[in-house]
Amino acid sequence: MATSSYGLIATFDTAPEIYQAAQKVRDAGYKNWDCITPFPVHGLDGAMGLGRSLVPRISLVGGIIGFCTGMSMIFWTGAVDYKLIVGGKPFFSPMFAFPVSYELTILFTAFATIGGMFFLNGLPMHYHPVLKYKDIKRGMDDTFFIVIESRDPRFNLANTKALLEQAGGKAITELEA
Amino acid sequence: MSTPAASSSTPPAAGKFLVIGLAGLAATALGLVVSGAQKVAYSYLVGFTFWAAIAIGMMMLILIHHVFDANWSVLIRRQFEHGLSAFKWLALLFLPLWLASVFYQSDLVWPWMNLDHVMHGSHTVGQDVLYTKKASFLNLNMFTGMTAAFFVIWMWLSARLRKASFSQDADGDLKWTSMNRKTAAFGIPLLALSLSFAAIYWIKSLEYHWFSTMYGVWFFANCVRGALSCGVLIMIWLIARGDYRGIVNKNHFYSIGLLVFAFTVFWAYVTFSQYFLIWNANVPEETFWYNLREIHADGTPSQWKYVGFFILFGHFLAPFLYLLSYKHKVTPAYIRPAAIWILGVILVDLCYNILPALKDAHGDPLPFLSINLLWVLTSVVGVGGICIWSYLKSFPTTKLFPIRDPRIGECLTYHE
Repeated sequence: MATSSYGLIATFDTAPEIYQAAQKVRDAGYKNWDCITPFPVHGLDGAMGLGRSLVPRISLVGGIIGFCTGMSMIFWTGAVDYKLIVGGKPFFSPMFAFPVSYELTILFTAFATIGGMFFLNGLPMHYHPVLKYKDIKRGMDDTFFIVIESRDPRFNLANTKALLEQAGGKAITELEA
Repeated sequence: MSTPAASSSTPPAAGKFLVIGLAGLAATALGLVVSGAQKVAYSYLVGFTFWAAIAIGMMMLILIHHVFDANWSVLIRRQFEHGLSAFKWLALLFLPLWLASVFYQSDLVWPWMNLDHVMHGSHTVGQDVLYTKKASFLNLNMFTGMTAAFFVIWMWLSARLRKASFSQDADGDLKWTSMNRKTAAFGIPLLALSLSFAAIYWIKSLEYHWFSTMYGVWFFANCVRGALSCGVLIMIWLIARGDYRGIVNKNHFYSIGLLVFAFTVFWAYVTFSQYFLIWNANVPEETFWYNLREIHADGTPSQWKYVGFFILFGHFLAPFLYLLSYKHKVTPAYIRPAAIWILGVILVDLCYNILPALKDAHGDPLPFLSINLLWVLTSVVGVGGICIWSYLKSFPTTKLFPIRDPRIGECLTYHE
């Protein structure tokens, strides 16, 4: 029945338990899995083997586009499309284009950061298979879960179940896809 | 390493720096014979303000730490508190400039101190309406009183901050934390005003015709950048010594690195605003200050123009792009060159603001590349040796970090 299963979910009672279990799952080489905790557990990202987010790269691209947009907009309007002498200044100078470019750098960086975050984390997500699990709401209260997805190349129903058991997981259940 | 928290490990060799400092000061004094008093006095003013700026920045960071009840900076705060011990020596080191202006030559550094000083052209300072309108502010009595007040304020705030923090090591009483918080609440406006007026009296008044409302803020930005860069270097030094090994983690570096980055942007914002407003308004009363730093009287570009470009790219663009990277902020080996670089460019920035007030017979600023740079360096070594000696002398007198600070637990387990 592995084809119709989303994966396995295991329950843990305390933060140290899930922290250590996460390290075991990480060391076993799994990639498509996640932890569900009622509150942020410091250091869990490291225990899960997660790297730095890619959002800053997207922010940088947004910032560069913003800066170039500001500069080229002032250049186009002032020095190409409608030449007008203002205050005895040149048609174009990076000096007076800078405040606008600077503001657009910040604006586009903010857009790219927010957009990049939503793009990468897949939110808003209206449905997720773990929501079918009967005790999932306790994950917002006092219980910790590890979910290993069946699409993970290392996923094998018996072996993965054994790993979760050995890591201290309880009530290991197969999730419907 | 043995338990580092228990007490300071072997005290670092402080005496060495006293010798280096005195040697630097002696070499600067030698410059009096080689280059004459005026050039050496200007160079010394650069070296002096460089270290004064770092000490002021350290105090500002401590005050900001307390007023925000911050946790990650508890460790590095202790090192800044040791740095504050330099203020009494800085006061002493300012004396030569004051004594020389009073007893040797009144317009040696600040031309407005001599009413008979002949301005470029023909008239004297006393006949200059731009001086007479400012005379109630720019006179020797005000200068003396204000400068004395700056040092009294700085030494008094330092004494309060150091006493409260060091006493808490012994008794753990929370009243010291609330005392520090009160000091921070009235200390920040006091320090902000005093450092702004110090920048105005010591540096801006060298060209007393000129005015810029951004000047105090520009100086403040350099103060904090200098102090943060020193903080980074101190952290790396104490890790290498073993004192902070395993205690300072990468999140501490990340936080201080973020501040280095933030103040890089802040410095650029302030400095650009000053330049841009003057450029855009294009009023001769203001533009002459930048003209002096760009062209000779005959319109040809001067060396200072390239110094200005170097500051634009070296003081802002290069550190800005470099510090964008997370890795460059959290890895000691990567952030150390950035900190050293920023300290070096702060020195160039101070040269750019101070040295062009030295003029030749045609009213042109003396070039950047000259023997005066040597006296700048000997002054930096001289004043710096004394300041570092003072820091190292204070260092073994207390615990390595405030062990009974209420936030020390959060600091040691700090996680971004």
